[in-house]
Amino acid sequence: MAEHTGDTAPDPEDPGAYVQQVMAEIAEEVRLRRASGDLPPRLERELDELFLAHSPIGVRGGDLSEALRLVDAATFIDPVVPVESERAAGAAVKKGMRTMLLWYVGWVTHQMSQSTSAVSRALHIVDDHLKELERRIEAQRVPDATVVEFPTSVPPGAWWIEPALAALAKAPGRVLHAACGNGWLVRRIVDSGLDAYGIDPRAPIVDAAELGALDLRDEHVTEHLRAVAAAGLGGIVLSGTVEGMAGGERMLLLAAIGVTLAPGGTLVIHSVGRGAWEAADAPYGADLAPGRPLRSDTWCRVLEESGYTAAAEQGPDGSDYLITAVRTGLTPYKQPEPGIR
Amino acid sequence: MITAAGRPVAVHQFLPALNPHDATGTHTLKLREVLRAAGWRSEIFAEAVHDDLAAEAYKHWMYPEHAADGDIALYQFTTSSVVAPYLAEQGLPLILDFHNFTSPELFAGWEPGNETRAAQAAEDLALLAPEALLGLARSTYSERTLRHAGCRRTAVTPVLADYARVTAAPDPRVAAELRDRRAAEGGADILFVGRVVPSKAQHELVKALWTYRRLYDGAARLHLVGGTSSYAYSKALYDFIVDLGLAGAVRLPGEVSDTALAAYYEQADVFLSLSVHEGFGVPLVEAMTAGLPIVARGAGAGAVAQTVGDAALVLESGDPAYVAAALHRVCTDDALRRTLADKGRRRAVELQGEKVGHQFVEAIAGVVGQP
Repeated sequence: MAEHTGDTAPDPEDPGAYVQQVMAEIAEEVRLRRASGDLPPRLERELDELFLAHSPIGVRGGDLSEALRLVDAATFIDPVVPVESERAAGAAVKKGMRTMLLWYVGWVTHQMSQSTSAVSRALHIVDDHLKELERRIEAQRVPDATVVEFPTSVPPGAWWIEPALAALAKAPGRVLHAACGNGWLVRRIVDSGLDAYGIDPRAPIVDAAELGALDLRDEHVTEHLRAVAAAGLGGIVLSGTVEGMAGGERMLLLAAIGVTLAPGGTLVIHSVGRGAWEAADAPYGADLAPGRPLRSDTWCRVLEESGYTAAAEQGPDGSDYLITAVRTGLTPYKQPEPGIR
Repeated sequence: MITAAGRPVAVHQFLPALNPHDATGTHTLKLREVLRAAGWRSEIFAEAVHDDLAAEAYKHWMYPEHAADGDIALYQFTTSSVVAPYLAEQGLPLILDFHNFTSPELFAGWEPGNETRAAQAAEDLALLAPEALLGLARSTYSERTLRHAGCRRTAVTPVLADYARVTAAPDPRVAAELRDRRAAEGGADILFVGRVVPSKAQHELVKALWTYRRLYDGAARLHLVGGTSSYAYSKALYDFIVDLGLAGAVRLPGEVSDTALAAYYEQADVFLSLSVHEGFGVPLVEAMTAGLPIVARGAGAGAVAQTVGDAALVLESGDPAYVAAALHRVCTDDALRRTLADKGRRRAVELQGEKVGHQFVEAIAGVVGQP
């Protein structure tokens, strides 16, 4: 092996910086190699394809079309078996057997190939239909709502913290806060003597605090609730979460809450009103959201029809409100009939 | 803490299988000594016990014969096992010692049986984690898994391993064979130690070797030490090696003795890991202990980056061009080799020794009281 003749020498005072410099030189070496044509991009692709060629069909192909291509390639069953042999007379014996049996084996394999080909054709028709459906659905897809935080959602403007803590005081079990951000409310709930944790889909915010003293997780609220045991939570706080949800997403969330919140458990919802949502200075996430905030009395009505006793409290400037609801039974959430009011 | 009967509280270990020369088996036996030295009574109960260790453990269903008031169960969580629901039924105060497990997706398409077992392991974890007093993880990567499964109190403690085996006297026959081949052919010896399974991505190592030989060192060799639990992957890997014309350059010696392993670590020029899942990575620490420079994929590889710290060239991906350039640099730059070897030895010291045992004792005493 030839001794490397790069410029970098280790600095005994800062070996970390030395290794970083080496990494940068390696990156530059790769760039130069690629620019020189020593390593065409197709080579790596060909290496991948070669390995996949030896892999089971289940490992290959990311979609149905690719899997069908593999099925097509494997449809024909060759009745002419190879006859090579390491033994002297082996090839002659194998060839004799092949000749004697070919009429029989050929008849069987022909039918198997026909059968497989028919199944493959049917699957191609299914694939074509699915692609057409995907195209149509994609054009009408409603994106999930993201977390939208207004000044009243988080401190110091969050007037609703004390009423929320008061409502949660008798929560009969663990309390979940979504979207928890860096855990500011989880800390307040824990300090009040309750067991609490938080989730938030904004990974960069949660990652920084995830392994601290608080139990915070990078997860979407509905997906998380689907993984929680029935009646496993004593309290749920939603802030910055429900305002922009479309009807379907909100229905799924309430259904999941209906399963996971124990009888006697408390649901706390903080939401801005439509005025703040439509205001010119609202966060841009409000503009992009698929839904709009419900009125506070609509929330109360929806929750009462789903087995809660609910009350609303308006914020000091009327731009937002707090819903506190206690689960009285196990009535599952049902979507209200249109025009019921 | 003393029970009403006047005996010290017991912290009994439970695990799926107790095997010799196995990271979990070694860890379990060493932890039993640590627990006993600290003053707890401690026995081992397993679903399966290797014949060589029959005198060291009981079958898990024999626990009631040894049960006493105040018992604590410490479960070595490595894979799915009937021990998990058994412990849930027993209702003992539980500590999870979590070694992580390969996610089912990494077996998808390769081994339906392993995929099913991995999915069951996730269910076992969901069953036990919310009830555990404490979850001990080998890395912050595994600690996150525990937290997500519902474990409320967690701590990170390294694995208790027998790293001395890699610095013991190497097998002279294996060492001479490796030395002679290098003298005859030249070229670098690249080493990876780990089971031949999709999650360890040995095929990525082969791609990297092919690229390295093409660009820098046409005589380089790759040694893939370790047994397999995936016939389909092993077969695909072997056929891939043959198709690339590397049958003479890649060696698959399977599982080897401790002395043979020491010979591989002694004779290799670099340890290369492109694994996509490591809950800790005992071989990485072995390589650092042996003073062998490491090149490893960090991103998307589980705990690799945390285990090696700043003592390795940690790459963002397994891009063969990038890996080959890193191998070339490590194999030809003596100053870099010395720096990585020195940092590696220091990092390895941080991850072993008596202090690791003390970390276990402190963490366990924190939830069940001092022995």
